[in-house]
Order: sequence, then C-alpha cells, then structure tokens
Amino acid sequence: MTGANEGNVEVKGGLRSDQISGVVLIAIALVVIWFNREFPVGTLADPGPGYVPLLLACTLAGIGLLVAVMGARSQSMAEIEWPEATRALIIMLACIAATFALERIGYRLTTAAFLVFFLGVIERKHPLAVMMVSAGFSIASFYVIGTLLKVPLPVGPWGF
Amino acid sequence: MIETFNSLMMGFSVAFQPEVLMYAFFGCIIGTLVGMMPGLGPLAGISLLLPATFGLNPIIAIVLLAGVYYGAMYGGSTTSILMRIPGEAASVMTCVDGYAMTQQGRAGPALAIAAIGSFVAGTLGVIGLMLMAPTLASFALRFGPPEYTALLLMGLFVLAYMSGGSMLKTLAMAVLGLLLGMIGIDVMSGYTRFSFDIVELGDGVGIVPVAVGLFGISEILLTAGQADPPKVQQPTLRQLVPTKADLKLSVGPIMRGSVLGFMIGIIPGSAHIISSFVSYGIERRLSKHPELFGNGAIEGVAGPESANNAAATGAFVPMLALGIPTGPVTAVMLAAIMVHGILPGPMLIQQQPDLFWGFVASMYVGNVVLLVLNLPMVGLFVNLLRIPYAYLYPCILAFCILGCYSVSNSTMDVWIMLVMGGIGYVLRKFGFDLAPVALGLVLGPMLELSLRQSLAMSGGDYMIFLQRPIAVTMLVLGLVLLGLALKPLIFKSKDWRSSVGLDENVD
Amino acid sequence: MKSIVKRSMFAVMAATAAFSAQAQETFPNRAISMVVPFPPGGVADVTGRPTAIALEKVFKQPVTVSNRPGAGGAVGNAAVASARPDGYTVLMALSSVSVIPEADKLFNRKPAYTLDQLAPIALISADPVILVVHPSLPVKTVKDIIALSRKQPGELSYSSSGVYGALHMPMEMFLHAAQLKMRHVPTTGGGPAITQLLGGHVTMTAGGPAAITSHVKAGKLRTIVSWGAERHPNYKDVPTFKEQGYDIEYYIWAGMFVPVATPEPVVKVLRDGVRKAVSDAEFKDQMAKVNSPVKYLDAPEFAKYWDADAKRLAAVVKVVGKVGP
Repeated sequence: MTGANEGNVEVKGGLRSDQISGVVLIAIALVVIWFNREFPVGTLADPGPGYVPLLLACTLAGIGLLVAVMGARSQSMAEIEWPEATRALIIMLACIAATFALERIGYRLTTAAFLVFFLGVIERKHPLAVMMVSAGFSIASFYVIGTLLKVPLPVGPWGF
Repeated sequence: MIETFNSLMMGFSVAFQPEVLMYAFFGCIIGTLVGMMPGLGPLAGISLLLPATFGLNPIIAIVLLAGVYYGAMYGGSTTSILMRIPGEAASVMTCVDGYAMTQQGRAGPALAIAAIGSFVAGTLGVIGLMLMAPTLASFALRFGPPEYTALLLMGLFVLAYMSGGSMLKTLAMAVLGLLLGMIGIDVMSGYTRFSFDIVELGDGVGIVPVAVGLFGISEILLTAGQADPPKVQQPTLRQLVPTKADLKLSVGPIMRGSVLGFMIGIIPGSAHIISSFVSYGIERRLSKHPELFGNGAIEGVAGPESANNAAATGAFVPMLALGIPTGPVTAVMLAAIMVHGILPGPMLIQQQPDLFWGFVASMYVGNVVLLVLNLPMVGLFVNLLRIPYAYLYPCILAFCILGCYSVSNSTMDVWIMLVMGGIGYVLRKFGFDLAPVALGLVLGPMLELSLRQSLAMSGGDYMIFLQRPIAVTMLVLGLVLLGLALKPLIFKSKDWRSSVGLDENVD
Repeated sequence: MKSIVKRSMFAVMAATAAFSAQAQETFPNRAISMVVPFPPGGVADVTGRPTAIALEKVFKQPVTVSNRPGAGGAVGNAAVASARPDGYTVLMALSSVSVIPEADKLFNRKPAYTLDQLAPIALISADPVILVVHPSLPVKTVKDIIALSRKQPGELSYSSSGVYGALHMPMEMFLHAAQLKMRHVPTTGGGPAITQLLGGHVTMTAGGPAAITSHVKAGKLRTIVSWGAERHPNYKDVPTFKEQGYDIEYYIWAGMFVPVATPEPVVKVLRDGVRKAVSDAEFKDQMAKVNSPVKYLDAPEFAKYWDADAKRLAAVVKVVGKVGP
C-alpha cells in the first residue's frame, strides 16, 4: 500500500486517512451484520435480539460510506507519522505478557517484573532506583489494594 | 417550613456528635482513596465497609457509607485530571478537559474547581433532597420505560454538541460505542450476542475497562515514545489556585450542572452518566469559546463534575423517600439500613425522623468535610506531576492493570482494557474523538432495553411514546436540540466542515 | 469424547486434591474465598457477607467474599465449578444456578458449567416469592386475576428480573398452570422490577419478601398469593398457591457449594462449620432483619431439595422455550 503511495505524496494524491477510516467502518459494519445473522430480527412492533444490532450496523455502514466519500480533502495517509509506534508496540506486548502472568505467578511478582522491564530495560534507569521503585510499588500497592481494601489479588504458586 | 427547620436542627445535633463527625471524615478518606483507583468505584468501597457497619448504630452506618459514596465520586476525578484515567464512568468527560488543563500546567485549578463544583453540587443536592424528597420521588416513579427511552434519546442528541471534530466522525464513534454495548446477554430474549463463547462477555463489556483503555492507555501509547518526554511540572502555589477568571467562568456551569445532575439522579436506573455528558454538551453550546472545549476549558471540568456529584445526591431521593434503589450503590445502602432492623420505604421519613434528618444534616457536614479534606490535597496530588515521565508511565500502566483486574477479579477486563487501548491509539491517530464511544457503550443497552420494554408494555404500539406527557416533552426537547445542532449543516451546506469541524488537534 | 476427557480430568483433580488434603492435616489453614456470582447488594451478596463473617468466627481463618458477577451468575458459578477442589473456594449460589445450564441447552450454547460439577454443602436461606399487584388493579385473589385476564386477554402485564430470571420463572409457572397470557416486561433485576410496578407501568410482579415488605405496609402494593408450600411467617394472611388448588412452588434460595471433586474430609469440615455458623445468634438476627430468615439444610437434605427444585425449574424453562419473535 505504501509502495503505491510513495510517488504521490508531493502531488497530494493517494489515499486519505478518512478514506481508510470509512472503509474500515464499513468493514466493521459488515462483520457485525454477518455475526448478527443467527439472531431473530423480529418486526418493528416486536423487535428481536437482532433488530437493534442490525439497525446500528447499517447506520455505521452508511456513516462509513459518507466518511470515505467526504474524506477526499482529509489528511493524506502518508502525512500521518508514527514516530512512537515502536514504543507503543513494546508497551502493548509487555502489558499482554503481564496479563498472562498475572494469575499464573501472582500480582506482586508480575508487577515487579513489569516495572523492572520498563525502568531497567527500556528507560535504562539506575539499577538501585529500578529495584526500589519496582519492589516498592508492587508491595505497597498489594498491601493497600489487596490487604487493606480486601481485593482478592492473585497470589502465585510461591505464595507471592 | 419552620417544621423543616426544626427537624434539620435536630438532624444537626445528631450530625455534630463527635463520633458521627469522625465517621464522616473516615468515610470521605476511604471513599477518595477507593475512587482514585480505576475499577474500584463507590460500589466496591461501600460493599467493603458494609460488614463493618453491622456493629454500628444505623445513623453512623449510613453516614459512613454516604461519606464513602461521595468521596469516591470525587476521587474518580483526581486520576482523570492528573493522568487521564477515568476511575469510573462518570469521570469520562472530566478526562477530556481536565487532562488538557494538566498538560498546560493547570492541574491545580482543575482539581480545585472539581472540588468546589462537587461541594456546591452536593450542597444544592441536599437542599433539594431536604425540601422536596417526597414530591420528587413520586415524580421519579412516573419514569417508566417510555420516559426512559425519551431521556436516552435526548442524551444521544446532545452528542451533536459534544465533540469539536467532524460530526460524521463523532456519530461514527457513537454508533461504534452503541454496537459495543450490544455484546452480552439480551435481557429481553436471553440470547447471548457477539460473545464468541467467552462466558465473561455474557454481561457485556464494562465501561471501566473501556474508558481506562480508550483514555488512559492510548495516552501512554501516544506519549511514551515521543522523542522529548513531557516536562516535569513544578507549579508554584499561585498556579495551584484558580484565578478570578476561572471562578467567574465556572459559576454558571456549576449551577446548571448541579440542577441537571440532581434531576437526572433522582430517576431510578443507571443513567447518571448522562448527566455529565449532557452538562458538557450544554456548556459547550452556551460557551462563547466552544473551540476551547477539548483543549482545556475549565467549564468542561466544572459542569460535568458538578453534574455527577449532584446526581449522586439525587440518587438518595427515591432511596430515602420510597425505599427503592436507583442503582447498585443505593441497593447496598438499603441493605445496610435493613440490617439494623429499619425498613426503608415510604414511611421511613415519618417513622425514623432522626435517621432521615441526621442523614440530611450529615450530608451537609460530609460535603464540607470533603472540601476541607480535598482542597489542601490538591497541592499534594499535583506533586505526582513532579515525577519524571519515564518513572510515571510504567507505574500508571501497572495501576491500570491492577484497577481493571479488580473490577470483577478477572483478567478479562484487563484484556478488554488493552484491546481498547490499542484501538484508542489508532483512532486518535486518525482524528477520531473517543468520548462518544464511552457514551454509546453506556447508553446502548439501556436504550435498546427501554425501547423494547415500552413496546412490550404497549403490545407493539409506538403511540405509547406520544401518549405520555413526560416522554413527549423530552422527545420534543431533544428534537429541538438536534435541530439547532444541524442548523449550520443545512444552511451552510457548502463548507459545513469548517463551521462544525472546529479545527481539531490530534495531540 | 468430551465427557471422557472431562471425567478423566475430574479423576486427576480428585487424586491431586486427595493428596493435598493429606498434606495439609488441618483444613482450613489459610483464607477461604467465597465466590458470590452477583454484584454487591443482591440477595447472594447480602446473604454471603454475613455468612462469611460467621464462618470466620468458626474457622478462625479469614473468609473473603469475592464478587464475580457476569452473565446472570454464570461466570461465578463456572469459576467455582472448575476451581481447584481443595475447599478454599466455595460458592454462594442462588436458585438460578440450576436455570443457567437449561437456558444454555435451549440456545445450543456451550454450557459454562454443568450441575454435576458442583457439590452442595448447605442451604442457607429460602424465601418463597409473593405475587403483588398495583393497588389500582381491581383484584384481591388469584381468581380475580384469572377472571380479569380472561376478560382482557393479553392486557395485563408483569415485570421480572430478566428473561429466565428469578422472578420470571415463578410467573411463568403460574401463567402456565392457569393457562393465561400476559405481557412480560423484563428488567435488569429484582429492584427495577418492583420499581416498574410501583410506578404503575406494569400490573403485577413476583417479589421476594424482603423487597416488598415496606411497600405492602405503606399500601403501595397489594399481596395476592405466595409460592411457598406453607404460609410465610411474616405474611400469615397471604394464601399459598397450593391452598388455591395450584400445585406450584417456588423459592429464591441461597446455598453453598464446592467443586464436586473436593475430598470428603474437607467437605465434612465445611458442613460442620456452616452448621455452627448458621446457629450463631448474631447471624440469625441479621438475616431475619433483612427479611430473609435462615433456612438451614445440611448437604444430604439440601441435595434432595436442590434436585427437586432443579427439576421444577428445568420443566418451566422447557415450557417457556425461546422468548420473542
């Protein structure tokens, strides 16, 4: 996709951001309509479980079409820059890993490891500061939320 | 009137007992703490303290729980303003302008206005509760499904005012939110929709993980990777206090928000969140500088914050006057009263005057306590911004995961939060506004349910909406609002984008 | 195939449980988690929290209430059904526990759990529901309702706590037995169902004694008939359906369950613990005050009770079938 656009950036051609958004909105609407087919739609007087979702999906498709059509003057796709995308991806992956770990190795270990990763590996802070923040945050938050406020936070197999 | 005054004096004599005061204080502190935690809203705080109140006398029990309730309502705004994490649904609107103010180094005034607005709204709410509880309560009962449908439709129409961006894109986001709200069991038929065999999705997608993801996580994804991180703020004392101009701008929004929030609050159901959205829409419409909304307008904090606190007070009207819960929070509080052998119901005010008036008086006291507690804390909270961003954002992330996990003690909510964070990041890149998604998510299931309930009541006859005066009035009002919003579209059709789509900055 | 896998999984779980039970001589030696599959404030929560406090006194170990709401109780029920069967995870379930798998069958859904995954410990409370009408409705007895409904077929309406919910089932039992048709307005819970009736938006509903008492006393609701086998102690003047010649019975009950593979010694400790807890004077007092007096049954009797109740409910779900267009 980018390959096709590269030459057109200067002449303000190529795909516009709103055109992409519009198409994606239409796609979402179609997916909803597809999954909605198993629910009875009912009638206007007696709407079934499929009625409102179908109505909304059709509205969304309509809006998507309008967004795409009227988006000819919007920002060009190539103009949207993604300087922070790599970091955003790393953050998402770390969060996913932490969520997986949460109920397996317990809250305190997960959080400590999570913070060590960010402060130590990503931000390269002083090891002592890393240690103190990650240990302090995980233990203190567990104490306040888990012990004082009695939220049953997960505890790992090693009792931590 | 004199009788009311005497009763109130009796109430104050109850509320000023040192023990009662102490518990009110304690309740506010716990509430603020719990409210700051995303995921642990007023409900969690109250149910946590519920067993502890079994051993207390009923007045103290309800004073303590009420303290937790409005403490939590206020606490939710703190994280919204400072970190763009809405602690609960009602704070979503506060995130928008509150956080924008923080970025401009005006976190102090934002927090202070939120506290002052909450105080005024709370106090006005108690006055309303005191003078008109029985009358208002019977009015609230007239809100059946058709009236509810009309109210929700009106809430949707206000969307047109809410966003600074293109109206089409705003609508697209609202519909997306409404569709998200379709996930889960359909109350009317028992079908499980769009849950993909995930049991946890049976009750639908919760507003807290969605709001935290869309607002909080997306913000971190956008900011953390920037070449120069946000600067550490070192506000001076003067910068912490709202200026005269701030206060002047906030008077109107606070008053209007209070009245609006109180009215919506007394209606049984869970529509309280509408009050903050509607208040935001109204303020934007009335403002001389609508373009500032979304970029740190103090009215955008003052209005919704007052509205959501007034709604919290309004919720006590049907609870005390009729003994019916307006939502889960008041349901727990009713249980707390019942444990003491007091039957909440239509006769409560006559049979237990000391409980009712003690409660009313202690709410006055509680509001003062909250203000006294929170204004000095503004300085303390703002200190969070002194932490370098490199340390701050990993902690916020961990905080969000913890908060969403504790919503219902399951990782499902954390997954939802992460997915929404990713979606929110991309949407913001493409210039979409996120608040309508949250509004749609909350309104969607309620609107669908009340519409279908109305039709079940009438046997499929749509005339039911036109036969009931309250419903008709609200529908007409909503249509007028919509018409006003669409006017520029119709009359300046050539370049409506520039008139409606007030230049939007994607940060 | 699936059931074989499941059964062998149970065998393994039972074996590990037996092993761990041997390892830890004295159950309980750490905190017990009581899962309440509903949000705070509901019947399960209001029953669960005092029970947890009473159990703490007996076991001298913390008993923490963990709300796992979702899908009308399915999420919490399923969580305990597949929890480690060591007795440290117990469930405070309502009668809806038997309805959910039936509804799943109806919709061809993958069941979240099955009833044979749960073993009963004790029944804590069981309240019959009572039919209440708006005072403006000119009826005083069941016969009046039937006559009125025959005169205006399909005009009367009732609110419920949701389709297949705790207040929908008893109404359907009645309507089926009397062969009536009424408009059904489902809501999101017991509270909203009563509120709809108070506002006069529907004509009747089935209500739990705790939820209706104050409104009945204030004359805002009129009682007609009760679903109990005997008259309710607080409503001596309200007849039962059985007295009126209808063989229907329905209770909203709260009972404690553990995963089925929990070893027998642990179950015994829990049963004894609950027996002591429910006889705690303070606990009894609290339950009576929330208008849900303790109705204790030990595991064997509770199992019979549960079985009969589940059969009744399964029959109603089948009769109701899928609702809507």
